[in-house]
Amino acid sequence: MPSDPMNDPRNIWQNQPTEPFHMSTDEIRRKAQQHYTEARMGALLSIAMGLGLCALSAWASARAHETVTRMGWALLSLWCIYFAYQAYRWMWPDRLAPDATVSTSLEFYGRELDRRRDHALHIWRRGGLTFCFLGMAMVVLPPLIQSPAAQRLNALPFFVLLIIWIAAFIVLRKRKRQKIQQEIDELRAYRGDISKNPPPAG
Amino acid sequence: MTTLFVGGTESISDEGVSQDSLYRQTVDTFSSSLDRLARAYELDPEARRDLLQEIHLHLWSSLAHFDRRCSLRTWVYRVAHNVATGHVIRQRRIRSKLVSIEDIETLPGGDWSEFAAGQAEALQRLSVLIRRLKPLDRQIIVSYLEGMDAASIGEITGLSSGNIAMKVHRIKNILRRWFGGGLHAE
Repeated sequence: MPSDPMNDPRNIWQNQPTEPFHMSTDEIRRKAQQHYTEARMGALLSIAMGLGLCALSAWASARAHETVTRMGWALLSLWCIYFAYQAYRWMWPDRLAPDATVSTSLEFYGRELDRRRDHALHIWRRGGLTFCFLGMAMVVLPPLIQSPAAQRLNALPFFVLLIIWIAAFIVLRKRKRQKIQQEIDELRAYRGDISKNPPPAG
Repeated sequence: MTTLFVGGTESISDEGVSQDSLYRQTVDTFSSSLDRLARAYELDPEARRDLLQEIHLHLWSSLAHFDRRCSLRTWVYRVAHNVATGHVIRQRRIRSKLVSIEDIETLPGGDWSEFAAGQAEALQRLSVLIRRLKPLDRQIIVSYLEGMDAASIGEITGLSSGNIAMKVHRIKNILRRWFGGGLHAE
């Protein structure tokens, strides 16, 4: 086997051309501040949107004549507050925990996968989607039931699409969760005893 | 995206070394390594510059908490790899196609022992191989190519020395198969 050092992948890798990094420490500090401000603005926008929709729903609730419709708008209004709270909780740029990026790769990657699996697992509950859909149903269904049959037929495609969307959402969520779980299990195997998977001889 | 800690002012560690001077020391020592690391995670030059900038931002930010419980090199590589891993995780379409070192080992590599065609081509092939790997395996191969020993790789990744030995053994096999000669026994 030839042993030309220029054929050594390590040499090839280490001798590849690189570009110098040109940012000064002041620029880095400014950029960090900018990132923080942008993240805060994004969170503020979502919170404001939630509160704005909450006010609109409350206004619609006050104007509704039917009890069920009024309760539906009220439920949607409460859901909007919940949405604003969730935006604050998940999007507000907090100070970086000291160990967020300095932990070992195994811990960091495992934590990221756990977070993603939990997100896929609880997105329905954390998004408060039950209340959102219940509120919408209470707002939409009473006038639809009272309307003539022809109008009800017009609304049919929307409901068919909604059912397809919910079914696809559940199936895709399950598939995503399984895939993440598989990766988590692989990481667990790494943490386990090496003797279960001994290195090949040679 | 992980939010950065924005301290605003320089913090001074126990040894009297400021966050900024530690960062400057890091850039002086590891600038090229970090550039290569970014290349292992991102092919597109523009996106790579953004990734490298993100790595530097997190590094500068993290150095406010540098407590010397590990070496500066381990600290720098942990932060850099974790930021880059976060970058890969966010790219869902790419992430779903990544494979492990064990999967690569079973693939035919072809004979590249006569790649007098040029270092650039060999580097490109090496980069393709690296970018096909899952994050943890990618960290191991990059660390190996950077010339680190098993103990250092273990410190960065958190894997046991047995696991590292097994992975490095497989990496050597793959590289030998994909690149022919040049791998010296250690």
